[in-house]
Amino acid sequence: MTNNPELDVLVIGTGAGGAPLLARLAAAGLRVLALEAGVRHRPAEMPTDEVAQAGLFWMDERLSAGKDPVGFGRNNSGRGVGGSTLHYTAYTPRAQPDDFELLKEFGQGVDWPLSYADLEPYYDEVEQFLGVSGPSEYPWGPPRQRPYPHPALPLNGAALLMEQAAQQSGIRTSAAANAALSRPQEQEGYGLRPACSNRGFCQAGCSTGAKASLDVTYLALAEARGATIWEGAQVTKLLMKGGRVSGAEFVRGGKTQTLHARQVVLAAGAIETPRLLLLSGVGNSSEQVGRNFMAHVGVQVWGLVDDDLRPYKGIPGGLISEDFHRIPGLVGGYLLQSLGVMPVTYATQYARGTGKWGAALSEHLSQYNHVAGINVLGECLPYAGNFLELSSELDERGLPKPLIHFSFGENEHRMAKHAETVMRDLWAKIGAREVWALPRAAHTIGTARMGHDPSSNVVDAFGRSHDTPGLWICDNSTFPSSLSVNPGLTQMALSLRTADALIAELKA
Amino acid sequence: MSAQERAAVIAALNGPAVTAPTRATLLERLDARYERQFLSETEFARLRAVAVRLVPHDPAEMDLSGLIDQRLHQNLSDGWRYADTPADGPAYQGLLAALPSNFETLSGDEQDAAIHELQASQPHPFEDLLAELTEGFMAHPLTQYRFGYAGFMDAPGWPRVGPNELEAREIAYGESGNDQ
Repeated sequence: MTNNPELDVLVIGTGAGGAPLLARLAAAGLRVLALEAGVRHRPAEMPTDEVAQAGLFWMDERLSAGKDPVGFGRNNSGRGVGGSTLHYTAYTPRAQPDDFELLKEFGQGVDWPLSYADLEPYYDEVEQFLGVSGPSEYPWGPPRQRPYPHPALPLNGAALLMEQAAQQSGIRTSAAANAALSRPQEQEGYGLRPACSNRGFCQAGCSTGAKASLDVTYLALAEARGATIWEGAQVTKLLMKGGRVSGAEFVRGGKTQTLHARQVVLAAGAIETPRLLLLSGVGNSSEQVGRNFMAHVGVQVWGLVDDDLRPYKGIPGGLISEDFHRIPGLVGGYLLQSLGVMPVTYATQYARGTGKWGAALSEHLSQYNHVAGINVLGECLPYAGNFLELSSELDERGLPKPLIHFSFGENEHRMAKHAETVMRDLWAKIGAREVWALPRAAHTIGTARMGHDPSSNVVDAFGRSHDTPGLWICDNSTFPSSLSVNPGLTQMALSLRTADALIAELKA
Repeated sequence: MSAQERAAVIAALNGPAVTAPTRATLLERLDARYERQFLSETEFARLRAVAVRLVPHDPAEMDLSGLIDQRLHQNLSDGWRYADTPADGPAYQGLLAALPSNFETLSGDEQDAAIHELQASQPHPFEDLLAELTEGFMAHPLTQYRFGYAGFMDAPGWPRVGPNELEAREIAYGESGNDQ
C-alpha cells in the first residue's frame, strides 16, 4: 500500500483520539489506515502483573524539568493498539458546561472554541457504544439524554470507606461512571464482551475485554468496516507536498517507509504530537506548538485501616464526588475519587512519595492489603513556563528526546493543599493510620491548542490545522484547558466530532 | 526462602486460579538470577550492600541488584528521567561512588547514616534507585506470599470486593492469611 494514491486518511496513533475517528471514517466508506508505534496486546495474553505489562507504556525516555517534574513511562502514556486506553482506569465522567468557559467565569485561562452542547450528543454516543456502567441518577452536571447503558460496578473497600467518611462530612458521593461492563455486551466488530471480573488490574491491561479499551471497541469496529491498522510503525516525520501535509515517514520492521493520503490525522498524544510537529517543522506558524502544557492536579491521600481491603480487587476508581467542582477563591475545581491500587504501583509510589527505606518501608508495604486511597483530579491553568521542547539529547533513532518543563502555579498549589486537607479529613473520619499524601500531576494535556484565532492556536475547533492544509490533530494536545475530569471520554467525543468534519470536507 | 514457603508459592502458581500468562511470568521471576554485566565488580558489591539496607531482603532469595545491573546493561528506560540527572547508568554509578570507600565493612547503623547523607545530597538519583529496588522487591512472588497478596490468582474473578469479603484462596495464601 506504500504511496497508495487511494488512501483517503492516514491516522497516526490508535488511542482515544485516533480510534473513534478511524471507525467513523471507515463506516463512511473512506479508505483509512492507522499507524501505531506499539503492538497488539490481546486481552487473554495479559498477565496479572504490573512489571510484565510495562510494554503497554511509552518507555522511550522523556526528560522532565521544572519545579514539579512530571513522571512519564508507567504513567501518562500508552503504547499499543488502543493507546493509553489499554491502561486507563476507564473512568468516564463528562466535563461540566462551565469547564469549557474558564476565562468567561474567572478571567483566567482560555475558553474552548466549542461548548458542552456541541459535545453532548457525542458524549451520549460514546457512552452507549462503549457500554459505560454508571448510576441511574448522577447528582452533578446537566441531566443526560439517555441513562448509562449498564448499572454501576460494585464498590470496593476504598470506595465504601470513602462513602462512609463523606456521609459524616456532608459531602455528596455517587458511584462513578466506568467504561467497564457490569453486564455482558455484544460489541459490533468484536463479539461478546463479558462482565467485569473485578480483577482490579485495569491499569495493567484488562485480560477479559470487559474494560472498554479501544482495541475491543472502536478499533474492532474500524477493522470490521475496512480500516487497516499497521502496528509497530514508529512515525519519524510528517511529509509535505505542494504546501500541504501529504503523508508520513515511519520505521517499521527496521525499514523506513512512507505513506501518503489526502488528509493526515495526528493523534499521538500531548507529547509525541508536538514532538513530531517540531521535528517536521510543520503547523507552527503560531509558535504555539509545545506551549500550554498542562497536567491535572492529582494529589493522592493514602492510609491504612484494620479492615482487610485487598486493594487489588474491584474497579480502582469506583466512587466519585464533584462537590468541589467550584471552590471559593480558586479558579476551577476538582473531583474526588476513591482509589484501589496494584501492589507494585503502591509500593513504588510510597517509596518515591515518602522517601522511606529500610525497615520502615518494608513494614509499611507488608500491610498492603489494608491500604485505602482517595485522589483528586483538578484544573491546571496554562502557563508560559510549562512547555515541551526538543532536547539536545538524542534517542536511539538519532531524534531529539522531548524535554518537558512543568511547575504548578499558585492556583494549583492552593488547590492541591485544599484537596489534601479535605482528603486527610475524610480518612481521619474512618480512623485511618499512617496517612500520607503523594503530590502528583496526572495526564498530559495541551501543547497544540485549539481555538478560533490562528495567531494563538494550532488547530481550529474541529482539530484542523490553522496553517497547514491536509493536517488534523485529534488528541489531548488540543485541549485549551485541562478540565477537572479525566480526559478519555471527552477525547473520544472530540474524535467523533473531528471525524464528522473530516468526512464533510472529503465529500465536499 | 524456606522449603515450605517455596512449596506454597509454587503450589499457588500452579493452581487452577492462575492464568497461564500470569503463571509463566511469576514462575520465571521466582528463580531469576542475573550475571553482572554493566557495573564493575566493586560497584556491584557496593550496590548489593546498599540495596539490602534500602529494601531489606536476602540477595540469595531475590537478585534485586542483579535485576538493576541487567536493566542497565540492556539500556532499558522506564520512560523518563529528571532532566537534572544523568542517564541511569552514570547516575547510579555516581551514587555508589559518593558513599564512603569502606561502605561495605561499616556497621548497619553507620551504613544507614551514610545513606541518609546520600539521600540528601543526590535526591533524584537516590529516589530512582529506591523506587527500582522497591519495584523488584514488591513484584517478587516470595514477597507477595509473605505479604499475603493473592491478586494474581484471578482466573475465577472476584465476585465480592467489599472490606473483609475474602475468597478462600485469599485467606489461605501467605503469612498474613495464616495469621488470621
